[in-house]
Amino acid sequence: MATGPSDVALTDLNTRLGAPVARAGAGSDAVDGVVPRLVVEPQTPANVGGTLAWATESGRTVIVRGGGTKIGWGPTPGPIDVLLSMRRMSGVEAHRHGDLTATVQAGTTLSAMNAVLAEHRQWLALDPPDPDTATIGGIVATNDSGPRRHWHGAPRDLIIGMTLARADGVMAHSGGIVVKNVAGYDLARLLTGSFGSLGVVVNATFKLAPRADASRTVAVTLAGPEQCGPYVAALVAQASMPTALELAAPPPAMLVRFESVETVAEQQALQAVTLAEQQGGRAVVLAGDDESHAWRAHDTRVFGTGQDGTILKIVTVPNEVSSTLTRITEAAQTNHLDYAVTGRAGLGVLNVLVQGATEARASFVTMLRDRFLPGQGSVVIRRADAELKSLVGVWGPIGDGLPIMREVKRRFDPTGTLNPGRGPAG
Amino acid sequence: MIDSDFLSQLERIVGTEGLVRDESELLTYESDGLMSHRSRPAAAVLPETAEQVQAVVSLCHRHKVPFVARGQGTGLSGGALPHPDGVLVVMTRMNRVLDIDIPNQRITVEPGVMNLEVTRRVTPDGYYYAPDPSSQVICSIGGNVAENSGGAHCLKYGFTVHHVLGVEAVLPDGSMVHLGGAALDSPGLDLLGVVVGSEGTLAVVTKVTLRLMRRPQAVRTLLAAFDSTDAAGNAVSDVIAAGIIPAAIEMMDRTTIRAAEAAVQPGFPDAEAVLIVELDGPQSEVDTLFRQIEAVCERNQAWGVQVAQDDAQRGRIWMGRKAAFAAMGRVSPNYYVQDGVIPRSTLPEVLRRIRALEQRSGLTIGNVFHAGDGNLHPLVCYDDAVEGQAELAEQVASEILSYCLDVGGSLTGEHGIGSDKACHMPKMFSDDDLATMQLVRVAFDPHELCNPDKLLPTPRLCGEVPGPYRAHPAEVAGLATRV
Repeated sequence: MATGPSDVALTDLNTRLGAPVARAGAGSDAVDGVVPRLVVEPQTPANVGGTLAWATESGRTVIVRGGGTKIGWGPTPGPIDVLLSMRRMSGVEAHRHGDLTATVQAGTTLSAMNAVLAEHRQWLALDPPDPDTATIGGIVATNDSGPRRHWHGAPRDLIIGMTLARADGVMAHSGGIVVKNVAGYDLARLLTGSFGSLGVVVNATFKLAPRADASRTVAVTLAGPEQCGPYVAALVAQASMPTALELAAPPPAMLVRFESVETVAEQQALQAVTLAEQQGGRAVVLAGDDESHAWRAHDTRVFGTGQDGTILKIVTVPNEVSSTLTRITEAAQTNHLDYAVTGRAGLGVLNVLVQGATEARASFVTMLRDRFLPGQGSVVIRRADAELKSLVGVWGPIGDGLPIMREVKRRFDPTGTLNPGRGPAG
Repeated sequence: MIDSDFLSQLERIVGTEGLVRDESELLTYESDGLMSHRSRPAAAVLPETAEQVQAVVSLCHRHKVPFVARGQGTGLSGGALPHPDGVLVVMTRMNRVLDIDIPNQRITVEPGVMNLEVTRRVTPDGYYYAPDPSSQVICSIGGNVAENSGGAHCLKYGFTVHHVLGVEAVLPDGSMVHLGGAALDSPGLDLLGVVVGSEGTLAVVTKVTLRLMRRPQAVRTLLAAFDSTDAAGNAVSDVIAAGIIPAAIEMMDRTTIRAAEAAVQPGFPDAEAVLIVELDGPQSEVDTLFRQIEAVCERNQAWGVQVAQDDAQRGRIWMGRKAAFAAMGRVSPNYYVQDGVIPRSTLPEVLRRIRALEQRSGLTIGNVFHAGDGNLHPLVCYDDAVEGQAELAEQVASEILSYCLDVGGSLTGEHGIGSDKACHMPKMFSDDDLATMQLVRVAFDPHELCNPDKLLPTPRLCGEVPGPYRAHPAEVAGLATRV
C-alpha cells in the first residue's frame, strides 16, 4: 500500500522517471468508481518499466488502461495507487507487408493501426467493438474480437510476438516477427486474455490478412431461435466459407458475410439466400451502404454507446447455440429482464445485454451458469455494476486449472502489483 | 533415485507388461527422430490410462525422479530424449478415439492416436483435421500438441494450437487439470495456449479435444518449374501481394527434387526449383484465384506447369514433397535436417548465403521450404564414414540458423527446440526473455522433473557462460537458484 501522501509519491515517481509523466488522479480517471491516486502516461518502454519497478518496490498497485473501453471488465478493483495509461505509446512500428506481419505499440487504436495497414490493402483481421478508441493493448489483454472471428480467429490466434513489461519492470520478448515459430514458451499467448494481470503489453506483432476485394452480407430473418442451428449446419454442410456468421435476437435474425473477389462473394451470398429459404426463413443480399448500415446496427445492439445494462459473454458448443438462445430467452422472461443477443453462431460465442433489477440479473446469470457442465460453456460478466459482480462473481467456475493459474500469476507478479484481483487468477 | 523399490511401485501401477527395465529393450527408446542425441532411460513405462499416467507422475514427484513423455518418437529436436536417471513415459498405448462429435465439429482422442488417424475417422462425414506434418502417418497427436506441429497447410489454417480446444493433462506434481474444453473461451488464463508447444516440459497430456474442419468444396493443386529459386521466390511474393492466401505454397530446389524423383518418382521436372501451390475453398473462389496463380507463374517464367486433374495426381505431387526428407537418403549416406524460419521476403538473400556456405563447406545442402510462411528445411548432406563430416554438417546447420536470426527469423518453425537447440536459445532471446519463460516453467514444475534440460538452456546442458559470476535476475528475485 502507499506509504505516504499522493503528492510525495508523485514527486518521487516523476523524479525517478526523469520526466513529468505522472499526475494526480481525478474523478474522470475512475475505474469502476475507484479513483486512482496517480495517473502515469509514459511515452517510452523504459518509463513503463520504471513505473512498474517503482510500484513493485514500494508495494503499490497498478491498473493498466488503454482506450478505457473495457476498463470496467473484470472484478471491481480495490484501492488503486497507479493507473498506467498506455495511450501515448502509440504507432505502428513496422508493417512488413511482404510478410503479412506488423508490429504495433500497445496504445495504438485498432482503427489507427488498420489505417496504416490499408496502404498495402492489408489489415489486422479483428473487428471488436469501439475500434476508434479500443487499443491493441486492451484488445490483447481481453482477447476481444468481433464477428469476423468466425473466419480469422481471436487475438490469441493472430498474435505472433510481444514485448511485455513484467511487474518488476523487466522487459521481455516472446515469439518474433515470423508467422511460424515454436521457439520458447508462448508468452504472448499467455498474456492474451490475462486482463493485465501478468504483465503490461508494450508492443505486439501480428499475422495480418489481405483485404478482400468485395463483401456481401446476407440478412436472414428466422421464424424462431430453433432455426438458427439447422441453418448454420446447412451452411457448414455445403462447405460455405463466410467470414462472419452472426446471430441476433430478439427477434431471431442472422447476418452472414462473404468476402472474396466480387463474383465469388455474390455467388456465395446467393447460395446462402437459397439455403435460408429452404429452411423456411427469408433472406436478402446486402451490399454497399446497406451492408455497412446493417453491420453498424448489429454491432450497436449490445455494445452501443447509449446502451446501459449488463453485458455478458455466454459461450456454448456450436450445436447448442439454438438451445442456449432459447434458454437465454426463458431466463430473461422468468426474471423480467430486457435483453439483446448478438454473437458468433458458428463458434458458440454470444454477447448478451440484460437490463433490469440487480437481483433479477444475478438470478439470470446463476440460472444460465447452472446449465453448463465444465468445459461445455461459460457465462462471464463483461460490463456490470459492482453490486452484480460481487453477487455472482465475474468469471463463474474456472475449474481444476485454477490452482496452476494462480501459481503462474504468483510467479509473474509475486507482490500482487498488477491489476490485483482483476485477472481470472487474481 | 530409481531403485528396485521404485521399480516395483512402477510395476504395480502399469503391470509387468507396461514396464520396460531390461537394458536391451530400453535401447529402443534411447533416441527420437534426432538420432544423433542418445540417452537410455533408467526405466520406461507404457501406461494405458490417464490414471496410470497420473500415478506414475505422482510417484516420480514423490521421489524427485525426472520423467519424459514420448509419443511415437518422430520428433526431430530430441524433445523426447530420455533422462538417464529418469522414467520414460511412452504414450503409444493410449491410442483410443474417445468421442467423435460431428455436429460440434470436435473429436476427443487419447494422445497416442496418430495424426492421420483423426482425419481417417471423420472422412466419411466429410471432415478432416487440418494440421498435417509430413510425418502425419506415424506421428501422434500428443507429440503434435507438445511441439505445436504445423505442416504444409498451416499457411492458411494455422498450427496445432489453433486446432486444440482442450486438454486433460497431468501436471508435474501429479495433479490432473482440464484446460480449455469443447466450448471456446473457457474462463481463466490461456494455459492451454502455453501447454501446446511446451515440448512436454509443463505437463503430460492425457486427452485432447480437437477442432475438425469441413472438407472444402474444391481443391486445386499446381506444380510449376522455375530456372532459379529467385524466380520461384518472386512468384511466391507476387501471390501474397495479390492478396491470395493459398492453402499451401511449397518450394523444393534441384537437390531435393532429384532426391524425391529417385525415391518416389512423383514426375517432377528437372528444374532449379519447383513450386507446389494449392488452393482450396468454395469452387467459384478456387477457380477464380487459380487463374490468378497461373498468371503469376507465367509472369515469372514458370515452365512445366502441371495441374493435378484428380486426387491421384494431387496425391502424387504431395507424395513427392512429403517424401523429400526421407528421399535424401537416396542421394546421401547421411543428412542433417535443419528447421529455421525467416521473414518470407528475405528468402533470396538467405538462399544466396546458404549457397555460398554450400560451396565453402563442400557439403551439399538441399532445400525444402514452406515458402508461404518462410519455414526453411535445409538438408545438409554428409557421410558419417568420412571423419569430421558429421561435426562439419552440424556446424553448417548451425550457421544456417544464424542466417535466419540475422534477418529476424526463428530457431525453429515446427521441429521444436528440444535438446538440440536449447543452447542456441540465447542467440534469439535475451537473459531477461529466458528468465521470464523460466517463470512459466517453475510455476508448473518447481522441481525440474518434467522433461528437464529441454527447451531452455541450462548450465548443465550448455556450460557456464564465461566471465565473472553475475547473479541472474531470476536469482536476484529469489525465483531460481544455481545448481
